[in-house]
Amino acid sequence: MIEQATEAFVLEARELLAELEDSFLELEDDVTSARIDEIFRALHTVKGSGSMFGYTALSRFTHHFENAYDLVRDGALQVERDLIDLSLAARDLMVSFLDLGGDGPEAEALLVSPEVSAIVERLSNLTGTSEESIEAPGKVEADAGETAAPAPTGVQTFLIRFTPAQDALRNGMRPDLLMRELADLGKIQVSLDVSAVPRLTELDPTEAVLGWIVELETAEGREAVEDVFIFADDADLSITEMTPEISVEETLATEPPATDSAEPAVAQVPAAAAPAPSQAAAQPKPEPKAKLPTAAKSESIRVTSSRLDDMMDALGELVIAQARLEAVSEEISDPTLETVVEDVQRLVMGLRDATLSIRMLPIESVFGKFRRVVRDLSADLGKDIRLITEGGETEIDKNVIDRISEPLVHMIRNSVDHGLETAEDRQAQGKTPQGSLWLSACQEGGEILVSIEDNGKGLDAEAIRARAIERELIDPEAELSEQDLHHLIFEPGFSTAKVVSSVSGRGVGMDAVKTTIDALGGSIHVLSRAGQGTRITLRLPVTMAIIDGLRVRLGESVYVIPLSAVEECVEMDEAESKRDSGRSLLQIRDEMVPYLELDALFGQTAKPDAGRRVVVVRVDGMRAGLVVDDILGQSQTVIKGLSAYHKDIPGLGGATILGDGRVALIIDVATLIRWAETRRDQGPRKAA
Amino acid sequence: MQTDDMTQETSNTGMLLIFRLDGEAFAISVTWVHEILDPQRATPVPNAGPFAPGLINVRGAVVPVIDIRHRLGLAPGASEDDGRMIVFEHPIECTPQKLAFCADSVEQVIEYDRSSMEQVPQLGAAWPQAYLRGAIRDNGELVILLETETTFAPAADRSVAA
Repeated sequence: MIEQATEAFVLEARELLAELEDSFLELEDDVTSARIDEIFRALHTVKGSGSMFGYTALSRFTHHFENAYDLVRDGALQVERDLIDLSLAARDLMVSFLDLGGDGPEAEALLVSPEVSAIVERLSNLTGTSEESIEAPGKVEADAGETAAPAPTGVQTFLIRFTPAQDALRNGMRPDLLMRELADLGKIQVSLDVSAVPRLTELDPTEAVLGWIVELETAEGREAVEDVFIFADDADLSITEMTPEISVEETLATEPPATDSAEPAVAQVPAAAAPAPSQAAAQPKPEPKAKLPTAAKSESIRVTSSRLDDMMDALGELVIAQARLEAVSEEISDPTLETVVEDVQRLVMGLRDATLSIRMLPIESVFGKFRRVVRDLSADLGKDIRLITEGGETEIDKNVIDRISEPLVHMIRNSVDHGLETAEDRQAQGKTPQGSLWLSACQEGGEILVSIEDNGKGLDAEAIRARAIERELIDPEAELSEQDLHHLIFEPGFSTAKVVSSVSGRGVGMDAVKTTIDALGGSIHVLSRAGQGTRITLRLPVTMAIIDGLRVRLGESVYVIPLSAVEECVEMDEAESKRDSGRSLLQIRDEMVPYLELDALFGQTAKPDAGRRVVVVRVDGMRAGLVVDDILGQSQTVIKGLSAYHKDIPGLGGATILGDGRVALIIDVATLIRWAETRRDQGPRKAA
Repeated sequence: MQTDDMTQETSNTGMLLIFRLDGEAFAISVTWVHEILDPQRATPVPNAGPFAPGLINVRGAVVPVIDIRHRLGLAPGASEDDGRMIVFEHPIECTPQKLAFCADSVEQVIEYDRSSMEQVPQLGAAWPQAYLRGAIRDNGELVILLETETTFAPAADRSVAA
């Protein structure tokens, strides 16, 4: 249970930290008080829950950070580039703390590391607080808080009655940690209220039945005490200040004394205050309320993605079972059964769509991270670059998002490093000194288009040609269009040595990008004008778990071709295939389309029966025909990945299970065609 | 299953599944064996090479079929329709992967004492040593214990179709 709650904390903290990064970057462009509040709240939440869930080192570090933003909030500290730099660095350290998985020697070591100390020192310089006050959380807050509460001077004594909600322990509440935090504030005396403890036989050890009565002597002020309990908001809590002469017993019996001048109401409500123990905690002071994490931002629940994966797997099985049911029903051909089967089919499709939609995430979640990449990178390279994102709300399958993030970073690095020029160079060419990088996404049918565009110097087609010849990627005689030359940057072995820089030349070239996009069933398109810029567009499937597939027969085997790649199906002109001229072109209307005979590519013995079909597919903007024995139909296809034994075979994108229980292979059209081309090139070499 | 394996490690005895190929008795640890199936017709994977030529459907999962005879240098089996298919889990790059392979017959599960394991004599054994962990005697018969780590490793001999 505790582990679960801790896990939830880590998850939430990671999300908050991701949002924080965005917020800081946005703050750079536009300072609004709402954004500063948001940052402050996020920091406060991480600090508060961190100490509850055994991440006290993180919490202690965050405390300094929070102080700085408290000042920002009060207008005592200006938002400047320096602060943003510092904030980003501090945020990264928070991530490091989180990565260490809670308190331990490593977290302690990090806390005293020069890296952390340097940041803390810079933060302290900003806040103008000394080390001591940092070690005593709460004080700075009370000082800087806008609540106008008179900063409590001297020692106060509080009587705290704290009774956790019954299910608090199951939710991961750690009263021991809370008590320890109280102990950190000053001198405490703890007694337990055991009146609610049932007989041993009825005791449920996971239930919180104890009450804590704490007498705390502290110089930290009321707010610091309230802060300790900020995440125990469903508990029964009362915090009353005692004048020294009143003992615990007396306070309990009578109304709380009115020493807290900020809250005279407490004092003026006689008797009622004591029996309503949550009074103090519920005091709607503007500040604590603003600090509470807004739990109900939208009606959403947090689910780990592995559960979604499980659900998707189950759905996949269901789709397969449903296909089997359909096959059986066709055999029996009973009208009643057919109606039921149709109903089931409709329901399964509905469930499929619903499940897929749950897995959809706005692409903004990756875009956000690029702001940082561009910022850091342009600073490193001494370039002035602005990143503009569009269409961040476009939704795409989580699995796709997870996998495109790396290639996108790579392309962005490339644009920043090679594409965009320095301010001087730009001005010399009459361009604006600031380079722009656009990152946009939109949906088009079943595909998502993601494009990266810069207004830099564009690709140098001649340089690419020279390099491609040098690397023996093309024949020196080959006549390639500018477009074709541009696409050579995705060839394996193209990007190496000469253009290597510390930024983008890390041994993985754009070919790695292409491989990933291909594996996702997507495609890449480059458009570049010398001197004006480059746009790279990725076409990606919205989802990759279940696709619409075209079932085709090849000998005794069934293969599935992703329908998204299919343009049309035509009859095979057998006169064409009997030609021995080595030409494999097919006339479709007034267009010549090259074709591939799948049986030859797949090493199957060709039985050229009459009536073969050609499935015309489009890959990288090019049309090609795949010759098959027959077309069987169209169906929902659950993609199952291939194992290590088969995943490197070109032309295969996965496997699926057919309605009759057999396994069918899914054709990856892009790699198939590329592989077929290289195979042909290795034969009698001829220009493409 | 994991704990099972652990106890085996500590107790120094293990359970083996004995199967036959061309009359010889072979064995693998029973720990990772999932099920024994009647042979199924596998879907051939084009350009896959002889070691893992096909795929079968094992209750909704797509499982590669390994040609163990090929790896051990045995002649191809008489027919796919005889014999039994052993489905087991094998870790590849730390993720467990279900695999299936065909044996002429599956005999029994025996308990064996690790200390009784012998070296397979270099001479007289036709199989590549790399795939053998050792030999034990069961009722006087020599049983060859396979080294699953190497026997089922994704092959270097896989034709990276080119």
